[in-house]
Amino acid sequence: MRLSDVSRLALENLWRTRLRTVLTTLGVIIGIGALVSMVSFGSGIQHNIASEFRELELFTSIQVLPGDIDISDPIASGMQAMGGDVEILDDDTLEALRAIPGVRLAYPEVSFPARLTLDEGEAQTTVRALPVGLGEYKPFSGLPYGRFFEADDEAAVVISQNLLEDMGIRLTDVPEPTRRAREDTTETYQMLHSSEVLGRTLELRTSVVDAGELMRSVARLQVPTGELPIREELTELTIVGILERTGGFSGFGFGGRAIVPSGTADAIPRLAVSSVWDLLGGGGGESGYSSVNVRVTSMKDLDAAREQIEAMGLATVTIADHLEDVRSAFVIMDALLGAVGTIALFVAGLGIANTMVTSILERTREIGVMKAIGGGEWDIRRIFLVEAAVIGLMGGVLGLVLGWLVTRLANVIANAYIRPYGVEPTDLFHMPLWLIVGALGFSVVVSLLAGIYPAARAARVDPVRALRHD
Amino acid sequence: MTKLRVLDGVDLAVRPGEFISIVGRSGSGKSTLLNLIGGLDTPDSGSITVDGHDVAGAHPRALALHRRRTVGMVFQSFNLITTRTALENVTLALAFGEFPRAKRRERAASLLASVGLAERLDHRPGELSGGEAQRVAVARALANDPVILLADEPTGNLDSATSREIIALLHELNQEHGLTVLMVTHDHEGAREVSDRVLTLLDGRVVDEEVLTA
Repeated sequence: MRLSDVSRLALENLWRTRLRTVLTTLGVIIGIGALVSMVSFGSGIQHNIASEFRELELFTSIQVLPGDIDISDPIASGMQAMGGDVEILDDDTLEALRAIPGVRLAYPEVSFPARLTLDEGEAQTTVRALPVGLGEYKPFSGLPYGRFFEADDEAAVVISQNLLEDMGIRLTDVPEPTRRAREDTTETYQMLHSSEVLGRTLELRTSVVDAGELMRSVARLQVPTGELPIREELTELTIVGILERTGGFSGFGFGGRAIVPSGTADAIPRLAVSSVWDLLGGGGGESGYSSVNVRVTSMKDLDAAREQIEAMGLATVTIADHLEDVRSAFVIMDALLGAVGTIALFVAGLGIANTMVTSILERTREIGVMKAIGGGEWDIRRIFLVEAAVIGLMGGVLGLVLGWLVTRLANVIANAYIRPYGVEPTDLFHMPLWLIVGALGFSVVVSLLAGIYPAARAARVDPVRALRHD
Repeated sequence: MTKLRVLDGVDLAVRPGEFISIVGRSGSGKSTLLNLIGGLDTPDSGSITVDGHDVAGAHPRALALHRRRTVGMVFQSFNLITTRTALENVTLALAFGEFPRAKRRERAASLLASVGLAERLDHRPGELSGGEAQRVAVARALANDPVILLADEPTGNLDSATSREIIALLHELNQEHGLTVLMVTHDHEGAREVSDRVLTLLDGRVVDEEVLTA
């Protein structure tokens, strides 16, 4: 019997018992729907991270570390760094890095803790120092409010909306200043238009060791409080720009909350030690910088530049490496999400097997007749397998539709829920082609597997007995 | 489980174009003999050759081909597929026989017309009388041009008038188309009227053979 005849018979049989076919298919639809929506959620998160990285032009960035640092083993690397036989990052290195073709910027990673005040608002944060040249790159190239720095020694600061909120200020499109309590929180924000924030003076306070006081203490052979004599230094900076709120996945330490020009940062007095790394011999000066950020002109320059940097005996980390780390972290989540859908699909497969076995019992006589008029075991088996495959295919297609509808609905609900918190609407789900094709294939394969036993059983029906059957 | 010897030492040679009837009491092994020849059942020992092909030891696939091409079977209980129309029951046999799809309807209709059912093509078995249903079964049995028609008590479920019609139909097929017919029946008298030979089976053995050829 030809496959077209087999298919026609199978479809006729399914149509004859349509209620049962619909119910069985519904199981597959739900299984595939669950699988697809779950996996597309996992995929959506990864997709969003990758596209956000791309949007921030972070694929043009290379982090350069001293020596052959193995980032997966920071302690061993730290020991190695202390050994002193590694390539350090100093100003000469910076010049060498800048000379590499394709390298647009090379600047040391500098950040320090500070206390910031604006009006009565106050926040403790880490201030980053960035060069003026970074203004060509996102997110600084298109700040939503104000501008990036114009000179490396400008007494200016760019702050993020998150920081403003920590200081009790929210931006509003309404120009006149109003104060109103937010209903969903107990906190009260000062609602200000961006023009009322830009140009204002931000007070930045850093802690320094009072060397004179320290010396006097030592001279008196006493440390009165058991603490180092520390005092605060005040620096006044003009707010020139405001960064977009870093919601979602961009909080990967890029951009930062308060940014000052590199030259200005150098002039701000502060404790030299800002991290354990510095204690281990990083930091500026003689022992070199802890890390240097390199920006290449475009993504295609990245690999060549990276090779050259590594040839200098330095270690590099790119955002692609970070992305791989993130990916592998999501593999477990994806596996769990996929497992839930897979279980649902296997339950649906049992439903198919059950339906087919019931169908064989009902159709025993018909199978006997088909054998008597020339149907071979192979023909009978194929009829049942095609029935199972058709259920799988229909369930797969409709399951994809269901999964898609579920993700759309969930997306609308999720976005409506997070919008009051000022998060930009994002598509939380991503349905790539491999998922669509894979889900269809998986559905058909599981259905065929479910049909193997019933089909073999149908093929083995003894015609003499079946024809006596009533 | 003790093995039941249903047929024992049956030796039968059927010539092309013969009409042979087999009579005997219930349980004498008549139907089993027909099922063996039809390839629905397989013997424990012995040999069966139909149209030059060994049936007794054949592979299931070869048996399926044998049922499809070499024999046509008609049963007491018609064994039509109840959800399909008369025409569809015949086209199904043609589909198994890999008859070209475009010509199936035409061939099925002409087969049904030849058994007198030109007006009943689109009726389901439930809407047909017993005699009509058996005619559909005969048309289906002839679909793939068998060399022998095996009829297992074809009139067992029919009244006497209809029975005579069916016997007459088989006789006509035998006489006018040279179809070899092997029929199992209870109706000894009816069988004598149309058969070349009538065999009597008892407890799995042929106990009597009447040669009636005029």
